[in-house]
Amino acid sequence: MTMKNTVQAVALWSEQAPSHSITAIMITDDQQTIVTGSLEGQICLWNLSVDLKISSRAILFGHTSSVTCLAKARDFAKQPFVVSGTENGEMCVWNVTNGQCIENAMLPYRHTSISYYHSSFRMTGEGWLLCCGQYQDVLIIDAKTLEVLHTLKSQSSDWIICMCIVHSTRIQEDSLVAISVTGDLKLWDLSSSINSIEEKRNVYETESKSLELRNCQAVRFCTYTERLLLIICSDCWKIFDYCDFSILGTEANSSGQSFAGGEFLAANRLILWTECGHGSIYQLVNSGLSKVIYPADGGMLKETVTPQLLCCTNVAENKSFSYVMGFLNERKEPFYKILFSGDACGRISFWHIPDVPVSKFDGSPKEIPIAVTSTLQDNFNRYNSTPEGIIGHFYAAVTSSLYIPSLDKLVCGCEDGKIIVTFALHAIRARLLDDHSLLRGSLPHRVFEGHNGCVTCLLYPHTESDQFDPNWLVSGCQDSSVILWDVFTGEILQNFTFQAGPVLKLLVPPAGYKTKVHLSVCCVCSDHSVALLHLQQRLCLLHARKHLFPVKMIKWHPVEDVLIVGCEDDSVYVWEIETDILCKMEFQTYIQRHYLYRQQYRHTGTLERYETGEMAKAILTSCEDSRALMTDSVLFVFQDVQRVKSPSYKTSSSYKLGTLSYTLAHPEKSSVKSTDTRQSQSPFAILPVKTKWTSMNFHVLLFDLEKLLEYLLLSQVNGLKSINSFHSYDAVKSAKSSTEKRTLTLKRNKTAGSLYQMNGQAKNASDQSISMENNIVKSLEEGSVIKRQKKKSSKKASIPASTKIDINIICDTAKLLLSCLFPWGVDKELDNLCIKHLGILRLQYPVSFGLVSNESHVSLMLPGWNHANYDAAKEHTLKNLFSKKVMDLSNKYINVIQSGEKNTGNGTVGTEIIIHLLGKIFFVSRMIKIPVGSEQIGRNNSRQKLEPFRNKGKNSENFTSSFPALYGVSQQNRHKFHFHDTDHTSLEKLISSWRDQSVEVIEAVQAVLLAEVQRSTKTLRRTSISKHPDTKVKNRMREAHPLPEPDKTEELELQCLKDIPVKTSLTLETHDNSSKSAVFQEAENVPDKHVSEEAESADDVKPTPWMSKVCFCKVC
Amino acid sequence: MAATASGAERKVLEEEFKWLLREEVHVVLRQLQDILKEASKRFTLPIGAIDGQMKQENFILGSSTMDQVKGVLTLQGDALCQADVNLKMPRTNQLLHFAFREDKQWKMQQIQDARNHVNQAIYLLTNRDEKYQFQTGSEVLKLMDAVMLQLTRARNRLTTPASLTLPEIASSSLTKMFTPALPGDILVNFYINLNKLCLLVYQLHALQPNSTKNFRPAGSSVMHNPGSMLEYNNQRFEVSHVQKVECVVPWLNDALLFFTVALQLCQQLKDKISVFSSYWNFSPY
Repeated sequence: MTMKNTVQAVALWSEQAPSHSITAIMITDDQQTIVTGSLEGQICLWNLSVDLKISSRAILFGHTSSVTCLAKARDFAKQPFVVSGTENGEMCVWNVTNGQCIENAMLPYRHTSISYYHSSFRMTGEGWLLCCGQYQDVLIIDAKTLEVLHTLKSQSSDWIICMCIVHSTRIQEDSLVAISVTGDLKLWDLSSSINSIEEKRNVYETESKSLELRNCQAVRFCTYTERLLLIICSDCWKIFDYCDFSILGTEANSSGQSFAGGEFLAANRLILWTECGHGSIYQLVNSGLSKVIYPADGGMLKETVTPQLLCCTNVAENKSFSYVMGFLNERKEPFYKILFSGDACGRISFWHIPDVPVSKFDGSPKEIPIAVTSTLQDNFNRYNSTPEGIIGHFYAAVTSSLYIPSLDKLVCGCEDGKIIVTFALHAIRARLLDDHSLLRGSLPHRVFEGHNGCVTCLLYPHTESDQFDPNWLVSGCQDSSVILWDVFTGEILQNFTFQAGPVLKLLVPPAGYKTKVHLSVCCVCSDHSVALLHLQQRLCLLHARKHLFPVKMIKWHPVEDVLIVGCEDDSVYVWEIETDILCKMEFQTYIQRHYLYRQQYRHTGTLERYETGEMAKAILTSCEDSRALMTDSVLFVFQDVQRVKSPSYKTSSSYKLGTLSYTLAHPEKSSVKSTDTRQSQSPFAILPVKTKWTSMNFHVLLFDLEKLLEYLLLSQVNGLKSINSFHSYDAVKSAKSSTEKRTLTLKRNKTAGSLYQMNGQAKNASDQSISMENNIVKSLEEGSVIKRQKKKSSKKASIPASTKIDINIICDTAKLLLSCLFPWGVDKELDNLCIKHLGILRLQYPVSFGLVSNESHVSLMLPGWNHANYDAAKEHTLKNLFSKKVMDLSNKYINVIQSGEKNTGNGTVGTEIIIHLLGKIFFVSRMIKIPVGSEQIGRNNSRQKLEPFRNKGKNSENFTSSFPALYGVSQQNRHKFHFHDTDHTSLEKLISSWRDQSVEVIEAVQAVLLAEVQRSTKTLRRTSISKHPDTKVKNRMREAHPLPEPDKTEELELQCLKDIPVKTSLTLETHDNSSKSAVFQEAENVPDKHVSEEAESADDVKPTPWMSKVCFCKVC
Repeated sequence: MAATASGAERKVLEEEFKWLLREEVHVVLRQLQDILKEASKRFTLPIGAIDGQMKQENFILGSSTMDQVKGVLTLQGDALCQADVNLKMPRTNQLLHFAFREDKQWKMQQIQDARNHVNQAIYLLTNRDEKYQFQTGSEVLKLMDAVMLQLTRARNRLTTPASLTLPEIASSSLTKMFTPALPGDILVNFYINLNKLCLLVYQLHALQPNSTKNFRPAGSSVMHNPGSMLEYNNQRFEVSHVQKVECVVPWLNDALLFFTVALQLCQQLKDKISVFSSYWNFSPY
């Protein structure tokens, strides 16, 4: 849970919308959201306005296979949750207001239909999901936990293909009507079985009748008569009497289109729809009730209903296939009846169904036109105001891209075969921001020419494993060639050519593998062949071309030189990797199995074994840990990125000391939370996302707020008044002796030129944090020096740290994030102040944010997300406001924090304010995301902790006195974090009230940012008028005012500021003060909670030496 | 390759692709449907049979190496409607005989699922005959993916029997179907493995509560080896003997063959479509 709390995702859409072949569609109970599930596995949320306007809102990633069904998962008025089921058995509960994944599960069941059932007075818990699908009988799944509670059993079990819950006031019993694949109608009592089900007793159907219907599609109960049952088969539909299941009417399919579903419009009218998207309305001429009224028939099965076709719906001219449809009765207001459909091309269509449908005068059916229709692409065309790729318009369309975190480079492969390498951050800034200094044409870049066809995949193997030369870049092309480049010079080191169709994927074998695949990459081609390329020797080791089906999985045998290829038909091919032609004899024993054949290829590769079924599974599981999956799905890309972001944990042993420099954490801490993805090397990453069926789709920017803060603060602490705060920081972080470090940092401060040497020393030193900090302060030029040096050294075996955290980059990243978050267009003056003083820049267009629910569930806002928030007229003025609520929240926030405080937010240089703002954002986003319970505990604990500190503030050895600790340690140490935040009580209260009102994180963040920016710029204006060089005076002034809670960060800024001109000899002294000051401040803030307005409270606690040292003037 | 394709070349390719969608796809789909219908026939659907009575088939289950267990099973579609099991106890040489109760039959879920999956695949292909015009390559690919998914599942159901724990087998309602009732120390399980109908008979012996033997309950498995332990009804048992007898069901063999051929056909069609994709530069084709 930890990592996701601090990651802020921003989507960069391209002009092409992600493909979204709708396989399931529903409209939520509040009738404001359309939910669609797709073949690609994503779920889209669409806004539906009162006047039936459709605009896309968000796309939810998380499923790995196609969505088969959607259903509501709670009482919608209370919790706007929807559940989705997929082809491979994943289930996920989503909050449709913000796209958050509430719960997810993987069950071995493929559902085709889910119905939510809740009986508030008889049932404990959140209700049930009744599920049917490609398994026997009906499953009852807990709507909250997604665990299988029970099964509704049947005497002759078979798959249930459709069902509906019958709720009848007349019968006083909720029942489930279901039809099996063989056409048996089954009826289970629901409300009277609740107890039995909760006690896990067997529940069998109360009635079962063979209707001998084939290919049933849907069953519907008429709520108007509470009598009729509509059963729709692909070739006909029938009306049954619910009392005795006798047939009342039937109508065969005349159009040749298969029926897909239907619904009762009224007591004697019904609407049917087909797989081809056609709807038709029928009138039941003779009411089915007649038979009951005249029982003289003696229960004879006489057809008493004759349907008459009244109306037809019209399908759009752009024809698609496989439609899924639904009907919405009684739209709240205005009173509409709507037939809706979604098709394989991703088009949503709506039809108004008149309240009283009538046929034409001549009796022929009337045609109902489409009322509204929309696709994702329509929305993209309308709202996505920068319809260009990630690198702009210089080149042909980008077909593949790659982000190299260690170099901060973005590599884009284009349609015309060119590969463009740019600085990632520059590219993003140019793309997003209204930046005059960055002329878009002058984006620094390098073009690699070598491919003739479109570049299909890119790989930077050094990111995956340190063994690879950091110069190597591998690209695959549509013309079946693979080129090995020098990423720095653009030189072609080797060109491999196959005759195997487009290269689909480039993979790196697991790092632990030592023998022949060492320094090789795997290349999967579209003819299902796999090639193993040795990069060092520039040699194709193996080209395995026997596979009949697409490659699903590649594994390496841990001991022998064997490549194991798993295909989509579940067969397995075992290939011997040989660099020489001589076949090794020891393999003979390995081969003694059935299904075996060998085939020698020209010079590469011997098929050792071919297996299917159980044996294939056994082989795959035998090398569980050495695999590389073929993954197209976005989900894996997300997981991938987290893996990429934490490379130091993959194989800790194989990493050189130098690489340890990206981990900030303690050795013991890292071992405990070795899976924690938070330990990323860079607070910023670009994630190229490809969805099925399409080429390059879009990019996701990931900002790790916490990392960002950590690095910024560290650089502050280090770079400006380094030794001491470093020391204090270190005292918190590790118990190691700091003398060596101190000298190191000192050296660095004095001689920036000797950085590389420093780095070498750092490598020798066992403490990672030193080298990390060294890395942090490297400036751009220094970075490039290192790069060059590294290039040289890379020829020798070991490679130094590949990650350089460049403070300029970090700072730019922070500004970029703030630029994205800031509500531009709310206040013109404020906008200008921001641009002038904060260095954050206006956005070119509203940004699509993402919400990361957990490591595999992400929702991204789509272009047009903001359309529903305000009417079109106002749209261009309100540029980047997440919702109207933000202004409200922002004002509330200002009211809360303004209590008695006036002198904060001094107009300092950009960085400090940015740190301050980021700190606030971080705090708020964490607060909102923390579940209520844990936060309470945290608070209690911190109160307890607080006591001793209040009393003996000076004994603060283990107390976090510098801000890196404040924000950085917090993740591992929530209590500590909350400790610091207890002084935010009023703020905390406000934010937890926001959380209770389910204010979305992004709203809160934007509101706080707006408020804080307003505050800081206010003072900025003031300070620019009157500058006070006298620190003491200021401090006195400050003393007069109790410290308002958000001042912690500012305080640091002040300290930092003050330390700028101070010589190193002085800094030791200031350090002591600063560490104390933080303690005092903490202590002081305790009373602050109770009497926030009282000026004396500060004095009550302590005479404050820090006050005399602190200056908030930026000039002194 | 694609980028260098000349205009004329492109035109030819485009024509070829149109032909593929218009003609070739339907040829393949026709073939596919024929194969699947053959496969489906093997599962003898209950609906459509003339007298509503399905054909019954008898299978004599035996093993070449041992003769302790003999079984005569009667399969009717997806259900085992009769079963006669003769068991010679290993030590006492006592002969035991069990049969299904008259009123009971046992559904072979694997067969039922395989049948349903094939029928789903067939259903996907209905309405896609010569009259239907495919608009894009991706439409064909999507259809093939859906069909292949069903076929893969159908095949997997037959090739991978459920792995169960011993208590699951013991508590299964299968044990209650026999007359005379199975003794407490005997467990039976039926399943399909590839083309074979298999019967497993476990003989248990109770472990003494004060036994020094380290009790380790066995996990899920298709077949448990002697020595596997279980706890059921608060008593601990150990498997002493396992007997497996099996019999080839010819029509399952056919069905599996049809599945494999159909899958390959689908993949080939997909590959044909994909060849053209490279000329449309990875855009939706």
